[in-house]
Amino acid sequence: MNDLDRQLTELQERFGAAVAAAPSAQALDDARVAFLGRNGEVTSVRRSIGTLPPEARPAAGKRINLAVEAMERMLGDAQVRLEARAFETELAQVVDVTYPGIEPPVGTIHPVRRITEQASAYFARHGFAVVVGPEVEPDYYTFDALNIPSDHPAREGFDSFWLTDSLLLRPHTSPMQIRTMQQHRPPVAIIAPGKCYRRDAVDARHLFQFHQIEGLLVAEGVHFGHLKGMLSGLCRELFGPEQQVRFRPSFFPFTEPSAEVDTTCPRCHGHLQRCGMCGGSGWIELGGAGMVHPNVLREVEYDPDVYSGWAFGVGVERLGLTRYGVDDIRRFINSDPDFLEQLR
Amino acid sequence: MRVPIAWLREFVDLPDDPQAVADRLAMLGFPVAEIERRPAITGVVCGRIRTLEKHPNADRLQVAGVDVGGERPLTIATAATNVAVGQTIAVATIGARLPALTIEPRKMRGIASEGMMCSAEELALPADWFEDGILQLDADLPVGRDIVGHFGLAEAVLDVEVTSNRADAMSMLGIARELAGALGSALRTPLAANPGSAADRPQALSVTLASPDCRRFVAQRFDGVRVTTAPAWMRIRLALAGQRPIDSLVDVSNYVMLEVGQPLHFYDADRIDLAHLEVRDARDGERLITLDGIDRTLTPRALVIADPHGARCIAGVMGGSDSEVGPTTASILLEAANFNGARVRRTATDLGLRSEASSRHEKALAPALTDLGAARAAALLVAQGATAQAPVAFGAAVEPPRPIALALHDVARILGIALAPARIAGHLEAVGCAVTLGEDRLAATPPPWRTDLHDAADLIEEVGRMEGYDAIAPVLPSVPAHAISSAEFRLENDLAYGLRALGYREIITHSLHGTRLFDATMRAGLVPSHTAVEVRNPLSEDQRFLRHALGPGVIEYLARLPQPLRVFEIGHVFALDEGTIDESNVLLFGFSAKPLDEPDWRDSHFLRLKGDAQELIRSLCGVRTEASADARNGLHPGKCAVLLHEGHEVATLGMVDPRLAKAFDAALPIYLANVYLDALPEYRLPRYVAPSRYPSTYRDLALVVALDVTAGAIEAAIARSLGERCTGVRVFDEYRGAQVGEGVKSIAVRVTLQRFDATITDDEADAAVAHVLAELRERFGAVIRE
Repeated sequence: MNDLDRQLTELQERFGAAVAAAPSAQALDDARVAFLGRNGEVTSVRRSIGTLPPEARPAAGKRINLAVEAMERMLGDAQVRLEARAFETELAQVVDVTYPGIEPPVGTIHPVRRITEQASAYFARHGFAVVVGPEVEPDYYTFDALNIPSDHPAREGFDSFWLTDSLLLRPHTSPMQIRTMQQHRPPVAIIAPGKCYRRDAVDARHLFQFHQIEGLLVAEGVHFGHLKGMLSGLCRELFGPEQQVRFRPSFFPFTEPSAEVDTTCPRCHGHLQRCGMCGGSGWIELGGAGMVHPNVLREVEYDPDVYSGWAFGVGVERLGLTRYGVDDIRRFINSDPDFLEQLR
Repeated sequence: MRVPIAWLREFVDLPDDPQAVADRLAMLGFPVAEIERRPAITGVVCGRIRTLEKHPNADRLQVAGVDVGGERPLTIATAATNVAVGQTIAVATIGARLPALTIEPRKMRGIASEGMMCSAEELALPADWFEDGILQLDADLPVGRDIVGHFGLAEAVLDVEVTSNRADAMSMLGIARELAGALGSALRTPLAANPGSAADRPQALSVTLASPDCRRFVAQRFDGVRVTTAPAWMRIRLALAGQRPIDSLVDVSNYVMLEVGQPLHFYDADRIDLAHLEVRDARDGERLITLDGIDRTLTPRALVIADPHGARCIAGVMGGSDSEVGPTTASILLEAANFNGARVRRTATDLGLRSEASSRHEKALAPALTDLGAARAAALLVAQGATAQAPVAFGAAVEPPRPIALALHDVARILGIALAPARIAGHLEAVGCAVTLGEDRLAATPPPWRTDLHDAADLIEEVGRMEGYDAIAPVLPSVPAHAISSAEFRLENDLAYGLRALGYREIITHSLHGTRLFDATMRAGLVPSHTAVEVRNPLSEDQRFLRHALGPGVIEYLARLPQPLRVFEIGHVFALDEGTIDESNVLLFGFSAKPLDEPDWRDSHFLRLKGDAQELIRSLCGVRTEASADARNGLHPGKCAVLLHEGHEVATLGMVDPRLAKAFDAALPIYLANVYLDALPEYRLPRYVAPSRYPSTYRDLALVVALDVTAGAIEAAIARSLGERCTGVRVFDEYRGAQVGEGVKSIAVRVTLQRFDATITDDEADAAVAHVLAELRERFGAVIRE
């Protein structure tokens, strides 16, 4: 065994020890640089070839290359080993997945909008547009055009906040029927959500400021059965597939025939004698509806002998009471953070 | 309206179960708010007191022999003091069940008592409304008769809601008529014949109808009247219907009103000038002391019944105390009149006088009802011993209702169910119409009481009502195409969901405010910038004004809560502008937050708010906005900005003026952004620019500038100077302090440089930056920080 062999064997052994002991990729790289780098130990050995007789140089070069190959293999093995050990360590980490998640800033949508939006989406699917309008209305849109002339006893039912002799805060969304029909020729298919105001004493069931959703469909061949169909669908949309709807005769000056619409109590389905939601009747009131009165159609210059239509109005907060099981309607306007959080 | 089912049974046969009656009524359009079930009472019969003696062993007791139709009178001891021989009374016999007790044989001071004489209260009638002691029944009631069945004491009372169009149903007869029609049963109508005969021609009775608002006035004089207690059957019925019994005359008028729906008025005939009565407008300033003792000054808006001495009665609302019937009254004049409902309603509202009578007169009562009302009252008064003169009707003859034409195919067109012509006719006949059926149409003449039936639509509703809405099958319509836009609603919804994504919670606050919010603003030394719209008739002071901005309501909301919160509201605001009301839809969002430990020239809360506002508008409209310092009422003067898009203001934002926050007792600083929905640009479609294929480079510059040089100005100057080579410029830090010296600040800005045609070289980048720095030095005196 010549000097070169001895030298290389010793080098290989030292290198093997260094890589085996290297605790990290960095230490491994340091060893690579120290032995195999541009100014490493192997380079020094290679330079010493020059002192050999020329005929011995090719063999020596070959010998050095073999050693370098072996050392590079050692390096590769060490890298694989080190990586495996790193994964092993990382994979050994265990977190408590039940520890509370880090919460992003949470935004919420008010339940009134949720309901409005869901109802809108349902009607939009069936080809209805969603329109909005002013809250301050002239009495013309609020009453006269809706077949409620001044001195009509039905005005009693709309105890309104008046701003001037003829302007008031709308007590219902029905003015949007007139506004829409005056702007468009039939067919007209809209729902009109929005705020309304009535001089009602506030209690667990009443607000003086509340939201309604108005619906209106006027076209040729529209009848009461279509009204029942759409409102039944709305109830199933909002309360679930088992929902039943009941129409009772009623009176509104702007519809004829008129109906009060009830839906089965989603809490007790009529099975509970003392249900807190429906009082045991098994039904809760949804709103008023009916076929648009011919006088209203005439007012907007639609021919009632050609066109027919229906309209309805439902109270959004009332729907909310039922939908979310809210005990007091005032919670909708108090907007307490806890309320918004629960119904988000 | 309280409707004792027992009273209805007088007119129509009904199911036993009150729930069944209530359900039927509900499906006819008369919802029953409550079924008041009466306590079960049994074993109470009619008795007549035959003997009455002092109790041998007790001073305060008497012992009566009461005939209840048995073999011998019952011995009953009583402590009541209003008993006398010959009286007809209710006797709870042994074993009887009363609401509070069961009657058992018992000894009262040594005498075995075989029952109990009943007071009104013991029969579950309001004690205050009847005599103290034993309830006095009518002498013609046979002894032994079951009292409970006879008076319907155990039958439920329905609280029926009657819609304002159905004046005809505001009576027992009206409700019974509806049920009879629906059930197909016969209606037993009360006798309409007036006992006042034409032979008793009244002398000198004259009513001039000087106003068209009185269409018909039936007057009838009665003599030999005695004001006493009304018969028990009448008092009990009134009480069950919720009407307090008063005396024999008042009770007759209330009874007739409840029974057939016609309100009546009685005058003391000796205290008015019967020969010169007149229905006319009140004179301006005319006075009348009404039955409630109030001296009222009238205006010509009121309609009055007057004689030459002045107003005697406010038509349809309330009589005058001068002509009030009382204990000395011997002769009365009955008024059964038909007035213009709107006129009565106006007057009643003006005077703040709503009564059972006015609430009926306000609606479209049938003129013919006056005659029935007078006839029923006459029958009852004559039964009480009065003599009736003939009724005299003033005003035009009652016009018979005109037939209404109905095209048969319209029934299916509107209701969506095909009904045989005969069935349609049958339904209309069931509600009292006289129907002539033709080939494809019919003519229906409504009954006189149905003043609400005017045209074909009304008939179609009646057909639907009698067929039952349940019979109409629900179907989905196929909605024809139309061009109505939902854009406004969509924008609002998108904003809401955009803000939700940014971590804001939607709230709803009141649109009506009291002076409290204005006071707070004033306390903060801020002059309101808008004239508020005032509500004329608020229910309470905190509803007096329409909000002119969302800010105060949201600040109040945030101030109420101790914890930091991020909220938004979308709603309408209102301002008075030269006499017209401006209404616009606005969005307000913002938060309360704990103050940060920052130098006074930096406010990260403000920057977060600005960032959120810009991001919101960017995501919704696809456009960028620029902030510019501004001053707005209610916002901190040094922390207020407007966001501009192409020079138009689309939002204002900033920190709420701390003085205002304090006025609302806010514990935390508040930051608010107001977005003008009407000013937002339409969504702009972005155009795609492919990124350069060559790498970019960047330079971070630390510039020392005077304090008034803004970050925005530096960014703009750099971008302009570099032109298209600049693909990014962003200020990322600011420093002030000893290390840069007084009166200046250091601004750190990263400039990104890139070419689209080649890789930008370091030399090229350095040269460009050197050029920029020279420009900045010239414009702002900016120097590179060492």
